[in-house]
Amino acid sequence: MIPILRQHAEQQFTEELDALQKTDTRQRPTNWAMSPWAVATYLLGGKLENGFEVSPKYIGSRRIIEIAIATLTTDRALLLFGVPGTAKSWVSEHLAAAISGDSTMLIQGTAGTSEEQLRYGWNYAELLSKGPSRNALVSSPLMRAMEQGKTARVEELTRIPADVQDTLITILSEKSLPIPELGLEAQAVRGFNVIATANNRDKGINELSSALKRRFNTVILPVPSSEAEEVSIVSKRVAEMGRALELPSEPPALKEVRRVVQIFRELRNGQTEDGKTKLKPSSGTLSTAEAISVINSGVALAAHFGDGVLRAGDIASSLVGAIVKDPVQDEVIWREYQETVMKERSEWKDLYRACRELDE
Amino acid sequence: MADSCFHLFGIRHHGPGCARSLVQALDALQPDCLLVEGPPEGEVMLPFVLDAGLTLPVALLIYNPDDSQQAAFYPFAEFSPEWQALGYALARNTPTRFMDLPMSCQFALDKAHDVERASCPFPNGLEARSTSADANVCTEGADLYADPLHWLGQAAGYDDGESWWNHLVEERNDSLELFAAIAEAMTTVRSEAPARRRSDYEQQREILREAHMRKTMRQAQKDGFERIAVVCGAWHVPALEKLPSAKADNDLLKALPKTKVAATWAPWSYHNLSNASGYGAGIAAPAWYEHLWRSGGTRQRAVGWLARAARLFRAEDLDCSSAHIIEAVRLADALAALRGHHQPGLDELCEALRTVVCMGDDAPMQLIHRQLVVGDRLGGIPEQAPAVPLQRDLEQQQKSLKLKPEATRKALDLDLRQANDLARSHLLHRLSLLDIGWGDLNKTGKSAKGTFHELWTLQWQPELVLAVITASRWGNTVEGAATAKAVDRAQAAQSLPELSELVNQTLLADLQAAIGPVTQALENLAAVASDVAQLLAAIPPLTHIVRYGNVRNTDVAMVNAVLEGLIPRAAIGLSGACSSLDDDAAQAMREHIAATHKAVRLLAHEELSGEWHEALQRVAHLGSSHGLICGLAARLLFDDQVENADQTAIRMSQALSVGNDPGPAAAWLEGFLNRSGMVLLHDDPLWTMVDEWLAGLVEEHFLRVVPLLRRTFATFNAHERRQMGERAQRPMQTVSRQIDADWDAARAEQPIPLLRLLLGLSR
Repeated sequence: MIPILRQHAEQQFTEELDALQKTDTRQRPTNWAMSPWAVATYLLGGKLENGFEVSPKYIGSRRIIEIAIATLTTDRALLLFGVPGTAKSWVSEHLAAAISGDSTMLIQGTAGTSEEQLRYGWNYAELLSKGPSRNALVSSPLMRAMEQGKTARVEELTRIPADVQDTLITILSEKSLPIPELGLEAQAVRGFNVIATANNRDKGINELSSALKRRFNTVILPVPSSEAEEVSIVSKRVAEMGRALELPSEPPALKEVRRVVQIFRELRNGQTEDGKTKLKPSSGTLSTAEAISVINSGVALAAHFGDGVLRAGDIASSLVGAIVKDPVQDEVIWREYQETVMKERSEWKDLYRACRELDE
Repeated sequence: MADSCFHLFGIRHHGPGCARSLVQALDALQPDCLLVEGPPEGEVMLPFVLDAGLTLPVALLIYNPDDSQQAAFYPFAEFSPEWQALGYALARNTPTRFMDLPMSCQFALDKAHDVERASCPFPNGLEARSTSADANVCTEGADLYADPLHWLGQAAGYDDGESWWNHLVEERNDSLELFAAIAEAMTTVRSEAPARRRSDYEQQREILREAHMRKTMRQAQKDGFERIAVVCGAWHVPALEKLPSAKADNDLLKALPKTKVAATWAPWSYHNLSNASGYGAGIAAPAWYEHLWRSGGTRQRAVGWLARAARLFRAEDLDCSSAHIIEAVRLADALAALRGHHQPGLDELCEALRTVVCMGDDAPMQLIHRQLVVGDRLGGIPEQAPAVPLQRDLEQQQKSLKLKPEATRKALDLDLRQANDLARSHLLHRLSLLDIGWGDLNKTGKSAKGTFHELWTLQWQPELVLAVITASRWGNTVEGAATAKAVDRAQAAQSLPELSELVNQTLLADLQAAIGPVTQALENLAAVASDVAQLLAAIPPLTHIVRYGNVRNTDVAMVNAVLEGLIPRAAIGLSGACSSLDDDAAQAMREHIAATHKAVRLLAHEELSGEWHEALQRVAHLGSSHGLICGLAARLLFDDQVENADQTAIRMSQALSVGNDPGPAAAWLEGFLNRSGMVLLHDDPLWTMVDEWLAGLVEEHFLRVVPLLRRTFATFNAHERRQMGERAQRPMQTVSRQIDADWDAARAEQPIPLLRLLLGLSR
């Protein structure tokens, strides 16, 4: 088998999806691979009747996931909103995998996304030789999802230019896609729906028009509410990714994970966890996703250049890279943090020293 | 229970589901007697339950007429099971009794307990129960209900007891087995719930209450009733299921102390019913419960609720179309199905609104939360219901002045030139004299609106009924009571400022009868007052009255007379009072003098001004008092043009001369500048003098005055400081320099044609 770097959710969790489908006896909406309850269990984890353990994909509020799933059952589109790194794309991928068994009907929104990418394009060779016909038509992932009654995903919706975004309006309200060149239309099959993600931190985004907004139910994914929750998310993801990348190291020390999470939370909230010291908040988002990547690169460093055990020195370099996004502003913030907070914590001496070494 | 004549119905206070089931159960049972958990003293008030003039929510108020701080409210809303039961029984002339321990005993016990606790030097923190909490809340405390529900809710996998109970009981459309299930659950909880932190005193109270309930039940049985419906809090059901020997209970209840109590109905509000108000048996969402009760179990329930939310959103200028509501209904239904509920509950509906209408944001929901979930309904009581005469008089006035008590916070702008508004103002001032805090007068200061406007913030809180009762000992009408209280306060007053404030209030409240005695008291006290600071503090409020009294049509002659006595007295004592003050005392005196000075100017009374100025001159004389005061006096005299610039310059040069210690000199300057540097900026000689004084200081002295001066200058605004800085940079004599140059006219003329062309000026 060719070693795939990153597997799709439905590939990685095939076993869990199968087990869920087998035990799922509840009512399924048309064209759904499993019932909404099973989808919720798939995302949030749990034990099935036959004792099979489903791992949690999203660690956080159950209510949020329930609202997201309920939205999809009502055939209204779902918009996952939030600061970067709050698992928006992650949730969207897993929802699509669980509901349609296919998370690949994806359109990545960028400033250059055109209407053709949302609707359909043409196979020009075919078009020129035989004229316009259904065969010459190249369907977009969205159109394929409509025809097959599956879930389409639109990533970074707000990065798509406003006029292109509006193409979605007809699709979402009429549930059909006219093809005027052929005098046809593609009508969506039951089960079709759209999950879009957008972040509210980026600058230069294209605000959604209110007509489009009205066609989405919006769910805001919050940053993890407690430190413990964030630590568990980071440790879990790092372990999974380490496995995927075949890192020969030991699982990351919980102590280091906790420290990174704490640094991130403190800089994000602008105060220390005990609430005693005020800090300047950093300009970066310092999301959970970034914490995961800091630990991950630390693990890789430890594995390949160290003795395989994650230590302060291994995370220091990527930590600085993650925090200092703006070389002037963040540098000051980071330096202040080292001197006022890290230095004072006696058990953080090693990390403080490692960071100082890097600065020099 | 089938063989017994008792039929126990354990309910949750204010639970619409319980209420619905209870009505059905009563219909099925057709009881010949109804016992309700409530104070027996309230039975006399029962006939008003069916009165058309009564609008819910209301509370049964039981209070001690001798000490109205001791009071208990038993609130009822339309959806309260007890209320429905009372209505059911009274409409059928079924005998109805309250069975709780009489409040007369409870008050007496509370009092005894308070005395006991007060005598104990180290009260146990956990036990501390404030009497005010007792007054506000029916004794059914949070620990009796919130706790077991929470415990059961968590056991059932809910976030909290409230949502568990809502889904299981209140939001269902009921079955008759409900009561058996509740009784069973409570029996388990009472026997197994973890020991909660309750004092012996509270436990003892519960034992007594339940003993009395059983006693009432036995009495009903003895009276020959055969189908007795007993409606009580679910918590008490297990204790009432079996009746032990009558003797045990009677022994418990023997020889309990008693006090006098009176009962009445009081209008109540949804806010007070919600747990946010601190009411122990409070509910989170009164408006939702009302909706549940009214809409029954129909499909329209969710739709009606969301439509209400839509109206509120629109009122707040937030977009919310019918399409939004349609989608919200669908989402709420889907959520309910996903969570296995038969119909969407409050949580699902709120989540649907947030997701569909608010773009996932919580802020807009917070905006309408109070109106949507809590509600701002305020009850009313029938006119014939007994109430203290003061309450009736107040209602009468509220009606005639078109000033309705409302539960929401509302701003009221009164134009005192209009008769009705003036009367309203009088009423509000009288009430605040009586400590009935209905309206708050906004401190407008000397705003642009002038003094014929008064801005009030009104909010009628149901607890104010109690304040009215407390105030009723002063008289039977608002005016009479306020007058009596003002006179009483005047006689007890010990300080002049307090009295002058009282005079002010009396005039604002237009209490003609009180003005005489209050001003008399003021004069008497002023005559013997030796504290000049107090005299000074009394002057400004009085001046205000005299100056602006006309707008209010008040008779200010008496106050004027008082002022004519006060100002000379203060003027005479001033220089004495200003001698030998330390820094703090000088600061305080400075405020008094400045305020009084302003007042005297406002009065524009020549003779009084003259006396005041003389006093200031004595104070301004150097060395007679603290530097700060001297400086201030010099400045005030300069401002009023009593002394001209030359005289002032002499004062300044004396004060700042080299011979003086720099400390007092700096203080003098601080006083003189009086928090504004303008005088320096605009008066060259003064500027020069200050400048020279500063420049002439030797280094050691300079270092000593720098902090003092910094303190003074720091109080100026940034603009003034900058101007001063610029002024200091400029040399004193700014002579405009003339530029001499040999102009070569011919060369200068050369570019002119080109410039004309560029500017488009034809020849």
